[in-house]
Amino acid sequence: MVRAVPGWLHIVGIIFVALTALILLAPLIVVIGVSVSESQFIAFPPNGLSLRWYQEVLSSNAYLNAAWISIQIALLVTLMATAIGGAAAIAIHRRQLPFSDTLATVFLSPLVLPTIIYAIGMLMFWSSVFGPVTPLTLALSHTAIALPYVVRTTLAVLAESDPYLEEAARTMGANRLQRLWFVVVPQCFPGLAAGAFFAFNISFDEAVLSLFLRGPTLTTLPVQIYSQLEFSPDPSVAAVSTIMIALTIVLIFVIDRMLGLTRFASA
Amino acid sequence: MNDRTENLLLALPGILLLGLAFFLPIAQMLLLSISGPEGFTLAHFVRFLSDPYYLNILWRTVRLSVLITVICALIGFPLAYIMTKVGPKLRLGLVVIVILPLMTSVVVRTFGWMVLLSRSGIVPELLRDTGLVGRTFALMQTEAAIVIGMVQVLLPFMTLSILGVLTRIDGKLEEAARTMGCSFLQTIRTVVLPLALPGIVAGSLLCFTLSASSFVTPNLLGGTRIQVLAASIYKSVTATPDWPFAAAQAVILFVGILLVLVPYIKLTGAKHG
Repeated sequence: MVRAVPGWLHIVGIIFVALTALILLAPLIVVIGVSVSESQFIAFPPNGLSLRWYQEVLSSNAYLNAAWISIQIALLVTLMATAIGGAAAIAIHRRQLPFSDTLATVFLSPLVLPTIIYAIGMLMFWSSVFGPVTPLTLALSHTAIALPYVVRTTLAVLAESDPYLEEAARTMGANRLQRLWFVVVPQCFPGLAAGAFFAFNISFDEAVLSLFLRGPTLTTLPVQIYSQLEFSPDPSVAAVSTIMIALTIVLIFVIDRMLGLTRFASA
Repeated sequence: MNDRTENLLLALPGILLLGLAFFLPIAQMLLLSISGPEGFTLAHFVRFLSDPYYLNILWRTVRLSVLITVICALIGFPLAYIMTKVGPKLRLGLVVIVILPLMTSVVVRTFGWMVLLSRSGIVPELLRDTGLVGRTFALMQTEAAIVIGMVQVLLPFMTLSILGVLTRIDGKLEEAARTMGCSFLQTIRTVVLPLALPGIVAGSLLCFTLSASSFVTPNLLGGTRIQVLAASIYKSVTATPDWPFAAAQAVILFVGILLVLVPYIKLTGAKHG
């Protein structure tokens, strides 16, 4: 047996991984640190320890309104993207349409196109055809960029499913709708669930489309944070950001419980 | 109802949504970029390509995107490789460390870098204390700040792209190379690296595309004086507002990205049949 890795390289590897992890996590740690600071000013390491900035956030109308808009839009996007994307994935998987391959490309194309290019198009098209942008405009655009994720996760699950189950249901007398609802959809469930979490996360964190399609009454949480950062950041921005990080941690935990993070990361 | 109708009905909502809220808007943007007060015009493109100010922005965008992509690849490959070699517990931990920033809003992460890189932030202080830089050294509002922030934002994409390919490599190939007398580094160079190349290339394309088209991090870390193309587009939409010119800049960005993507798709397409 040959020795796996030379000793010096092993140590270099450990230092390398530790440094990389530090770089990846540093901004998040700093944000959390600033949010519990007592000081008026943004400082890290924090001076003192207090939750006053969380109090500030929870009594700020600007933040609460933005959070409420973000949650509503994210829930609508989750619903639309999961239903529409799941249905499309089932159709693509069956390969009975004459243009199945093209269809798959079409549904994955929002993934390739830079969001900023799409955001401009959406703003220009919508305001020249339908008038000022509404929350629905933003929700539709978030759905478009979330669709590829739902389609991909659902297709991945369908690829491992048993095609004969549907056949069996058919010979037992189930009609089209029953076969779809009781046989195909339950098989898709892990993929649909993963796609739904992605859709929520994408919509809730998305900044580019939200910045282009914002209006006086249409400000999502990331846009609110962005404006604060541009003009007058105080530790309350850090408190909001920490809440968003906490939400992400919860989402990751749920995805790991439902699907296994390692499997999903190397897919 | 036959099978085809059923599948068409399933796909229809998605086709309608993408048609109405994705492809039509992009078509509209393309049209707007070549339309002036008197119909067809290329004036917006001429304006961009003949002004040294905008050419400088274009050059900076390309330069920074390439630099960010290269740094991401240099860190991402060893990180992904180590992730395939460690035990399942540590691997899960590393996956979380990579995915947590990826799933955190880019405004939140950029805020973290603003604190770290600011005048009194930890990073410049540390550099000043070690005497590597002078007393007046600052990082915010420099290209270096943009690169640091963007590498952290994009490293997860690169790492996951490479990880996906590395996990599918047969471990016996490495063992075979070692028993045949290759050293560890030789094995990496002659066996692992060539096999991981598709992942590195795919990750690099993703990083390049994303860094060329992002403006949130460059705007906040570089300030308004150091503009990149995407920031200039955002300015043309919100501050000026000059939509046709913004559309023309978006088309230039799009064409630039296609110039990088198409040769790759041609190359890999030819290789895999």
